Amino acid sequence: MTESVFSETAAEPRTQSVPLAHLSLELGHLYMEDFEAGPERLRAHFAEVRPWAEAARAAATARAGGKRPRISTCFLIDDYFTRFSTPAEVVPMLLAEAERAGLGVDYLARESGCAVTGKVPVAEAVAARIVESPPPGSYGLRPPAAQTGWLANGERSPVARAPQAMKRAVPWQPPHETAARRHSIFLDVELWSDDADGVRTWSCPFLAAVWQLARLGLLRNEGEALLAPQPHTAAGFPDKWDELPSLLRLNDRAAPFSAYRTCSVLPTRFLPVEHAVRVILDQIEADPAALEQVTDRSGREGMTVPPSVADRISYVYYAGH
Amino acid sequence: MAPRQSTPPAVLACGEIRTCLLPARQALDIRSAAQLLGLRPGERVLLSERPGLYARSPDTLTGVDCPLPSANGARVRAVGTVTAHAALTEGRVLQTSAHCRLPGTGPDQRRPWGEYLVRPGVVEPLGKLPHEAVAQGVLGGPRHGDLDVGLIADGLLTRVLRHPLLDQRPPFRSRPTRLRWAALPAAPGEGPSLERFTLAEDELRTVRLRVPEGTSDAGIAALCDDLALHDWLLTTVVRMLDGLRLGAGAAQDADAVVRTLRPAVDHLLHLWMPGARVGRRLAALWDPLEERPGFTRQWQALVQRIRDQLTLHAIPAAHREVEPAP
Repeated sequence: MTESVFSETAAEPRTQSVPLAHLSLELGHLYMEDFEAGPERLRAHFAEVRPWAEAARAAATARAGGKRPRISTCFLIDDYFTRFSTPAEVVPMLLAEAERAGLGVDYLARESGCAVTGKVPVAEAVAARIVESPPPGSYGLRPPAAQTGWLANGERSPVARAPQAMKRAVPWQPPHETAARRHSIFLDVELWSDDADGVRTWSCPFLAAVWQLARLGLLRNEGEALLAPQPHTAAGFPDKWDELPSLLRLNDRAAPFSAYRTCSVLPTRFLPVEHAVRVILDQIEADPAALEQVTDRSGREGMTVPPSVADRISYVYYAGH
Repeated sequence: MAPRQSTPPAVLACGEIRTCLLPARQALDIRSAAQLLGLRPGERVLLSERPGLYARSPDTLTGVDCPLPSANGARVRAVGTVTAHAALTEGRVLQTSAHCRLPGTGPDQRRPWGEYLVRPGVVEPLGKLPHEAVAQGVLGGPRHGDLDVGLIADGLLTRVLRHPLLDQRPPFRSRPTRLRWAALPAAPGEGPSLERFTLAEDELRTVRLRVPEGTSDAGIAALCDDLALHDWLLTTVVRMLDGLRLGAGAAQDADAVVRTLRPAVDHLLHLWMPGARVGRRLAALWDPLEERPGFTRQWQALVQRIRDQLTLHAIPAAHREVEPAP
């Protein structure tokens, strides 16, 4: 094919690429109740995480064929659903407890950065990329059962109508999981809620799905990478959460934040949230150019990634609250 | 380069296009066009100013899981996503275009949905695809319940037409057209060819193509968008002239002629640029149409007629002709 002499920048798509590690290892989430329970709660958490973090490293090394894998660690603080304390108070304690357990935190993220970063409505852009899994019989019409703000892994039960005179009531029909193996495990996830003033609150699983896309290097806005890590240059940490960058690099020598695969070590109470995350990720069309960059580079390194984005994430759950 | 997600090569690509006049008094400038076509927050509208203003929305996907239309009655189930986009030419002609490509074979069972989403625009058969029969089925029109990419183009058109930027006051009356296309593999060593372009009933056109393996379906869709645009222009201008009682000579007709033909000059005559946004190899498929029936030949004749009529009516009535005696 002969290249054209003339080109127009605005007429051609372009997608920025991001540096990629082999594994993004998440050492935990921090919510207000964890913080209120005192440093002992974090100490116990990191003590539980440590052996699993080592196991995740060992597994990544095996996958890299014995070579030293590039692994970065991260930690997510919830400043979205509840605002508590200050970074100046929370972050040093968090880092001290991680270090006591022999764990280094390379990157620190704020959950509200998954909703909006700077002026970019990240969550809204991800929501626009949802492509619902079609139940059998979908031939091009929009599925009539689509519910705004909810996402299911199958077909919902038909709405029961009040029986009219002379008509028999319609018996209950079960919902159906599209990928069911004989029996269904049907899940319907609330993605957001709007209050009386129309202010939207994104749900925890939705923001966690955005978080996973960021860690997989698949988040873009108009082709630009989002949630780029900012270096930590100040001596301490600010008194306001908004003054803390959405994603902070604490370790100058850390491997890149985004990676081919992710692993999160979490207490079992996160199990329902993470099931919901999988249901969401399975129905998000990631930026095709970003996907291709990841596929090409992982292929060149001989570390092929699973085709489906939801299969690139993994978890370790330890018993606990 | 590492291979992309393993998909056997496509043996059929098909699509459908809706073309209509933008229902707005004023043509949209490039910034408004970008607003109209911003179907996905976080994704850019592609804007181009040479050789004319052209804006194209980001692609949107629709999931499907249904039987494929086929001429021989085989009901092959297929699962995947259909790509659709909307485009605006010179802020005036709106098109929505939906298409997909189909590999020759697929798995026996439906895969997890996430595996379809990493191959946008691919609809994969369960088992083997009888591609010739399906191509014929697509062009003949799907039965209810069969894959219908036209519905997806319709749905997108409805969505764009509801945009608040549009005042729903088009400068003249016109009818939308539909163009349905199917592309089958060319014989080994053969280049792309246009096998058939049919004006069917009811503003429907069908196009049957042969393309060499590896031809991008986006490229084929661009060619078919271009064919649909120019076919719509011809259809619309022919219809404008059709409605006129030319040469009847009554003085009151002069106003009517100018009123009817002026929108063509204001809005349409500068849009004729066949092949402008089509890749070089596929642009050659315009040639047979230019030869017979000669799209551009017909267009030039129409343009000349419009100009002659307007010139004629610019001459004061007294000098134009002798009014027929009562």
